[in-house]
Amino acid sequence: MSAQDTKSLWADAFSRLVRDRWALISLVIVLVYAGIAVLATIGWGLPDWKTSQASEYLAPNGQFWLGTDLFGRDVFAKVIHGTKIAMSVGLVTSLIAIPIGVFIGAIAGYFGGWIDDIISWFITTFSSIPNIMLLISITLIMGKGLVSVYLALGITGWVGLARLIRGEVMKHKEREYVHAASAIGGGHFRKLFIHILPNVTHLVIINTSLQFQTAIKSEVILSYLGLGVQGEPSWGTMIDDARQELARGVWWQLAGATFAMFLVVLAFNILGDALRDSLDPKLKGK
Amino acid sequence: MSMRFIGLVFAFMIAAVGCSREQNFDEKVLNLITPQKIKGFDPIYAADLYASNEIGKVYEGLLEFHYLKRPYELTPNLAESMPEVSADGLTYTFKVKKGVLFQDSKAFPNGKGRELKADDFIYSIRRMADPKLQSTGWWLLDGKIAGLNEWRDKNANAEKVNYDEAVEGLKKVDDYTFQFKLAKPFPQFLYALAMPFTFAVAKEVVEHHGQEFQNYPVGTGPFKLDYFDNSNRIVYHRNPTFREKLYPSEGEATDEAAGLLADAGKKLPLVDKVIVNIVVESQPQWLNFQKGSADLLGVPKDNFDQAIVAGKNLHPDMAKKGIRLSMVNSLDTTYVAFNHTDPLFKDNIKLRQAMSLAYDHVESNKLFYNNTATIAQSIIPPGISGHKKEYKSPYIGRNLEMAKKLLKEAGYPEGKGLPELQYETVGSTVSRQQGEFFAKNMADIGIKIRISTNTWPELVKKTNTKTAQMFGIAWGADYPDAENFFGLLYGPNESPGSNSSNYKNATFDKIFAQASIMQDGPERTALYEQLYEMAGNEVPWIYGMHRTSVTVYQGWVKNYKYIEFNHTQVQYLNADLEAKKELLKKF
Repeated sequence: MSAQDTKSLWADAFSRLVRDRWALISLVIVLVYAGIAVLATIGWGLPDWKTSQASEYLAPNGQFWLGTDLFGRDVFAKVIHGTKIAMSVGLVTSLIAIPIGVFIGAIAGYFGGWIDDIISWFITTFSSIPNIMLLISITLIMGKGLVSVYLALGITGWVGLARLIRGEVMKHKEREYVHAASAIGGGHFRKLFIHILPNVTHLVIINTSLQFQTAIKSEVILSYLGLGVQGEPSWGTMIDDARQELARGVWWQLAGATFAMFLVVLAFNILGDALRDSLDPKLKGK
Repeated sequence: MSMRFIGLVFAFMIAAVGCSREQNFDEKVLNLITPQKIKGFDPIYAADLYASNEIGKVYEGLLEFHYLKRPYELTPNLAESMPEVSADGLTYTFKVKKGVLFQDSKAFPNGKGRELKADDFIYSIRRMADPKLQSTGWWLLDGKIAGLNEWRDKNANAEKVNYDEAVEGLKKVDDYTFQFKLAKPFPQFLYALAMPFTFAVAKEVVEHHGQEFQNYPVGTGPFKLDYFDNSNRIVYHRNPTFREKLYPSEGEATDEAAGLLADAGKKLPLVDKVIVNIVVESQPQWLNFQKGSADLLGVPKDNFDQAIVAGKNLHPDMAKKGIRLSMVNSLDTTYVAFNHTDPLFKDNIKLRQAMSLAYDHVESNKLFYNNTATIAQSIIPPGISGHKKEYKSPYIGRNLEMAKKLLKEAGYPEGKGLPELQYETVGSTVSRQQGEFFAKNMADIGIKIRISTNTWPELVKKTNTKTAQMFGIAWGADYPDAENFFGLLYGPNESPGSNSSNYKNATFDKIFAQASIMQDGPERTALYEQLYEMAGNEVPWIYGMHRTSVTVYQGWVKNYKYIEFNHTQVQYLNADLEAKKELLKKF
């Protein structure tokens, strides 16, 4: 064994992650977005989006970097504040979807038999319903607003992860270390949560970063369709506004919102990829 | 990747070929655009403007609004003449024109359309009242025709609705004569007979097609349906068996000079074919018009600057192509309604007045109507008797100081103690923006508004169940009589009736009940004006605008004149093919 292998898996993964330049840039971008979201939530230090500061539809200039909207509000400030909605939707839906996905997937994979049958039926059923239809019906039932968006995206987001974890746990439960745990009298709970789960954690992390950006995109689509956030700046509503404004040559609202979304989704994708590479135990030490 | 790209190129090429389809100059064709899918052609469901416009091409009623005369005037259409009205105003005797044929259809023996008779009207009116069919126009006749409500109630639980049983108020005299008997005086009754709800259908056709009837319209009208795809397009051609109906030879004083009498005395319809494209989004509508492939279009809000300069003149680029502009006040009122079952608004007139004073009408007119609308002072638009020109509401016109003062007197100084109010609107971009604008205005006096967007059926459900706290909508006249507007504030009409704000005011109700059964005249106008002022001072709603209809049409379209009740319009339009050939070169 070489000296390198004495590093823990996590320390090794981190050092490999930061060596990848693009991953590092992406990580910084994500952190900046998160920082902005936190500032917007506590309402500190960010430009004001609510008041009309100039006449309508001013083109981008020195004072208003992305021009003004229909009511003379600063589009750049709206983009910035839109970050809050996007990031909070990403975070909250991940917090809902990931635990459900991990738990259900792990149970199905570990116990198999009729439990697996039932859970697999649910997974297949959920994934066969077109996502956007399900989202629309959930927001219609629960009324509109941020909470509905969280729940709607949260309870549809667990399916993919559950399927992945299920397969992985099935593989692991036949491994020698699990048999060893059985041999020394470990119960189901211990084997599943203390022994197997840490070995699939990397999948959870990678999935979180993908779940996060899917949620952001879905929020934008829902708001675009008028089913999402109401009364607060959201990139989706901005794009909806822009749809008609384009005819009079007002492109800045569309450009601002799309670019902000593009950047964060791209960053999450690159980060997800890099995480997958750096957390793969087979690539350890390379 | 590259395969997909090639696929894309092909898709574009096909689209391009599809669009450049050669214009046909052999027959007169009108290319129109409608912004909404049409469910079907059954007159008893003609509740929205767009369905009415299609139904009005195929079906006809006893009366219609004169195409040229203003103020709007009823003229006989399928009726031989205007009806004889009994002295008590309760019995209306109609004679039906002879020799009017239904369009050919396989529902008739030998496929030949038969003659229209008095029975057809009696049958069509009964269909509106049929409890199983749930016509969306029933409100129009509810409680108005003697015995009709009883017949409806009796058949509500019957297995099969009995059309053979006589109804007192619908009486056949002979094949071409019949009588309506009203349960109580209803001077607006004749207007109902010009609305698509009451247009004549043939029993054989309804029975032949059953559930599918709405897809196989067979009327007596000027056009016959060729092709119907409810999400794409509708094609009609001239009805070959259409009766001798002529273009009017008199109109308003200015019509002669405007060339609107050039076709006077010619047989209608004037074009051979009508193509109606269903285009939901406003940008493609505009581009189609710009390309010359649509003949007529209401100008979308965001294209206003491309079409009009200085707020009233056609843009030179468009004038060069021979395009023409029509700007006419439409008979409508936009408003934000309070729900008067909500204790917050019910007895707190000062809160309502404060909110009305906080609303910025001038800015709203600029942002949403390009300064073409007229700020509403009360409920009735100009052009309908009952609108009082001199009246200026003390609560219209932004005055924040006054608004804050009233809000304090209402018990909510600077909005303190007032819960967040929910504003309901439909989910379109412009409606949402109007909601945001309203919320922004209210924030200036400390009132918090939450905007909730709905589909149209959701909004209707909320207002019908009285659960919408505030909502922003508009009302367009069904007929040019103030009764049609005042009814929206009449207590007994509360939800699910037309008074969706559930406003109740004993004095208002009393005057309305008195005025609504009076024949037109100075006495009634005086009462109407009294109601108009009351509706202004009491602020049951925050009034918005009376909008202006801005329409552009191509140089080859002849006889275009704005008509509020426009379901009969297309038969009067003409197309000048020579002019079209020339003008299209400039596109």
